[in-house]
Amino acid sequence: MSREREFSNYFAPFQKRIRVAAVVISAAILILVLRLWALQILEGDHLLQLSLNNRLRLRPVEAPRGLILDRNGQLMVENLASFDLYATPEDMPDVEEVTRRLADILQSSPDELRQRVSQRQGSQLDAVLLRKGVDGRIVTAVEEQKIDLPGVSLQVRPVRTYPNGGSAATLLGYVAEVSQAQLKSKEFRDFRSGETMGQAGIERRYDAFVRGVDGGEQIEVDALGRVSRLIQQVEPQSGFNLHLTLDNRLQRVAEEALQGKSGALIAVHPSTGEILAMVSQPSYDPNQFSQHLTPEQWRKLAADPHHPMQNKGLQGQYAPGSIFKLVTALAALEKGAITPETTFACDGTFSLGSHLFHDWKKGGHGTLNLRQAIANSCNIYFYNTALKAGIGEITRVARELGLGAPSGLGLGSEARGVIPPKTTGSPEAGGWYPGNTVMAGIGQGMVTVTPIQAVMMVSAIANGGTLYRPWVVRKVETLDRELIEEYGPELVRKVNIDPDNLAIVREGMQAVVNEGTGSRAKIPGLRVAGKTGTAQVVENSGSQRGDKRDHAWFVAFAPADNPQIAIAVVVEHGGFGGQVAAPIAKSLLEAWFQLPREPASVEVAAPAAAEGD
Amino acid sequence: MSFSRRALLSVDWRLLAAAAGLAALGVLIIYSTSGMHASLLRRSLYLKQATWMVIGLFAMALLCLFPYRTTWHIAYLFYGVLLAALLLVALLGRTGMGAQRWLSIGSFAIQPSEFMKLSLILLLARYFEDRREQLNAPRVFIVPILLTLLPAALVLRQPDLGTAIMLLLISASILIMMGLKIRWFVLLGAVGSAITPVLWHYLHDYQKNRILVFLYPDMDPMGAGYHVAQSKIAVGSGGLIGKGWMAATQSQLNFLPENHTDFVFAGLAEQGGFFGSLCLLLIYAYLLSRGLRLARDAHDLFTMVTSFGIVSMFAWQVVINIGMVTGIMPVVGIPLPLLSYGGSSMLMNMLAIGLLLSIQKSRYQY
Repeated sequence: MSREREFSNYFAPFQKRIRVAAVVISAAILILVLRLWALQILEGDHLLQLSLNNRLRLRPVEAPRGLILDRNGQLMVENLASFDLYATPEDMPDVEEVTRRLADILQSSPDELRQRVSQRQGSQLDAVLLRKGVDGRIVTAVEEQKIDLPGVSLQVRPVRTYPNGGSAATLLGYVAEVSQAQLKSKEFRDFRSGETMGQAGIERRYDAFVRGVDGGEQIEVDALGRVSRLIQQVEPQSGFNLHLTLDNRLQRVAEEALQGKSGALIAVHPSTGEILAMVSQPSYDPNQFSQHLTPEQWRKLAADPHHPMQNKGLQGQYAPGSIFKLVTALAALEKGAITPETTFACDGTFSLGSHLFHDWKKGGHGTLNLRQAIANSCNIYFYNTALKAGIGEITRVARELGLGAPSGLGLGSEARGVIPPKTTGSPEAGGWYPGNTVMAGIGQGMVTVTPIQAVMMVSAIANGGTLYRPWVVRKVETLDRELIEEYGPELVRKVNIDPDNLAIVREGMQAVVNEGTGSRAKIPGLRVAGKTGTAQVVENSGSQRGDKRDHAWFVAFAPADNPQIAIAVVVEHGGFGGQVAAPIAKSLLEAWFQLPREPASVEVAAPAAAEGD
Repeated sequence: MSFSRRALLSVDWRLLAAAAGLAALGVLIIYSTSGMHASLLRRSLYLKQATWMVIGLFAMALLCLFPYRTTWHIAYLFYGVLLAALLLVALLGRTGMGAQRWLSIGSFAIQPSEFMKLSLILLLARYFEDRREQLNAPRVFIVPILLTLLPAALVLRQPDLGTAIMLLLISASILIMMGLKIRWFVLLGAVGSAITPVLWHYLHDYQKNRILVFLYPDMDPMGAGYHVAQSKIAVGSGGLIGKGWMAATQSQLNFLPENHTDFVFAGLAEQGGFFGSLCLLLIYAYLLSRGLRLARDAHDLFTMVTSFGIVSMFAWQVVINIGMVTGIMPVVGIPLPLLSYGGSSMLMNMLAIGLLLSIQKSRYQY
């Protein structure tokens, strides 16, 4: 009994406070009921009227996207103002009348306009976009006749502008409205219909940084649908600026050199992986997408046999041709199958079983050692070398150097290229023949690479065996230059290849330029190392469409003893690499070592130019 | 077996029906206000919510099966795991693609914080039960206050002001019930406002901005002031008996971008009118009264604090949310329990009801 009392005494104060809580909660609910009474019963009729006749409009104000600048702070992408014409049918007392007047100004058919006005989707209160980016004459006319055009409004919008036109277009990407298909996917659930976003390249990958936060205007419209009052305005917040590793001047030189050709060029800093220039020709004008892209323009872009929308540096897969001999040489050296002094005699042909393989030079090169073989790109030497090295070792070295896998630049879908599998079936099983190895050894047959893989491979050879991930965005900053994100060199791997062997191949590459097939890239006063490639185009479909000439390759780095730049050039159907691609690389190197530069962004500063000129 | 019959009989079926009814009503409102939306995703949300409701009901039933005291054993562990999860969110939010996280902050970021509400209640319940002889000493309250501020700060940093406020309110309610004098809160508030500028200093600009938008909704690009004006029109236009099923023109249109989450009540009030709103409030009142009765009749502090904590969680959310929708409370992201769209909050609320049911059942069995 006393225990019971003690028990209830202990809980008594809590129970008292629980009862107080019950009273407080009841009171709060009562207040809610009173509030609902006030809104729904007392003000109900008035608010019902308001809901039927809702005249509050919310108008989004698009935020300007962040700027994109090159490594020297030069503007590559900016925003300009553009006027868009909108209609709100609810606010038009007479749709017929208004559309007829508007058609006069726009010099188009009233029927088409009326159709656009009535054909709206989504929320009923969004204004309908009639024309994007109307010209100054229309802006003036609409402003002048405002009184007679209720429900018609003009809005200013920042328009993505690429001052250099098609320059670096596939790398930078373009900006366009979110498509209906995109809107349906979960990834885009935060997007409004009609909102713009980066659709390719850097604009797409870094969209979250660049896009900014849209603002809004809360406006009240009068009975005729004209804006009567701006109730509230929220300024849009500009997106973050991107600083690239790209050098715009080098980019322009590279584009000039590839002008009128179809192909790709990539230049990187070999000991950081920074992309200095990235060209894919032919290009397209991304400004078309920012404004209104006409169906004809789109058809033309999509149907172009040279694929201007494709970044060939990342998505183009080409037989490497003789630039692959670098891999074959390394594989043979690694396996100990040859030494730099190993010689083979070349009389122009090589027989394997019943098959006869030819050298590109009729009559052959005579007896060559490794250095001479690389310099003269002797096929016979590398047929022998490939067989001695074996396809397993060639595959291993190729993969070590990053071939057969995406480089990791992270812009769009990157091609992987093709490298033979490590374990290949026996000839009996219908698999790999020695003949396949011979062909692979000179970069033909079952081998393809992308230009970005080629340039990263050359970088790894140049820098003594480090494979870097290529990167193109250096840092992200706010408008006030506050740092948001900063990027630096990133290792893919230390390549598992003896540095001495890499040095031997570098020797050979210098000989290519000094006395061999790449002599057109020779620059007095600058030690250039390179390798030419001429990749046969196999026409197996029998189609005679287009050019059947070979793809021209040239890979290079310079200066040979302290590499500051590595380049890969491929010209589709260009012909001989030494004739077509090497001069392009030469003009780029000349430009690079004459350009005044700021100290490089990352630790490897550039005293280099001293050796140039 | 007679056991199962007794167990079934001892379940508070009316409380369960009230909770299930509220959840079903939520699904119906989300469905009925989705008709005009452009986004297919929005139009399918009611199905997701229905799925979560079923999952929640199962979880609730499962909780009923276990003896109630098991929650006492896992109270600290539960809290520890959730705190770790919150820390993880905070860390990932920093090192990940910062802006991305910040721009699309939402559903998955709030998940651990939602469960933290329930976990905090259980933590405090066990803490006070374990120290039931020391409640007269004010210092016994120091640890609970710290254990509240820690998750609240992490949640605020996400930033999710609404949930952070809820954690503070739930904890404060329990502490006051446990006898903490109100004047101590004044002191705490003073200390808090003193250290705020210091913490503020360590935030990034965009984080500050985000919090400012929460504190001053007018800074929000879409304009929270606009939301409130529109939601008042929606509620008021319902009148006495409402516009009827599927006729909520105001809530259907894009006037209320949050019409399925924080502003879900507007859809009900527009379709059901004053009558419907009153019914909803009565169901909530019934639910709260059941919980308060459990707290009052409790024979131990753990039960008492748990049921009182759950009641306070529901009561605060209902009052703040409906107050916000009807324009007498500031706009903070606090959902209406069991009605608002959201998987983790649905699951958490169902688990809370499950706890009440379990407490009720165990009382029968003694």
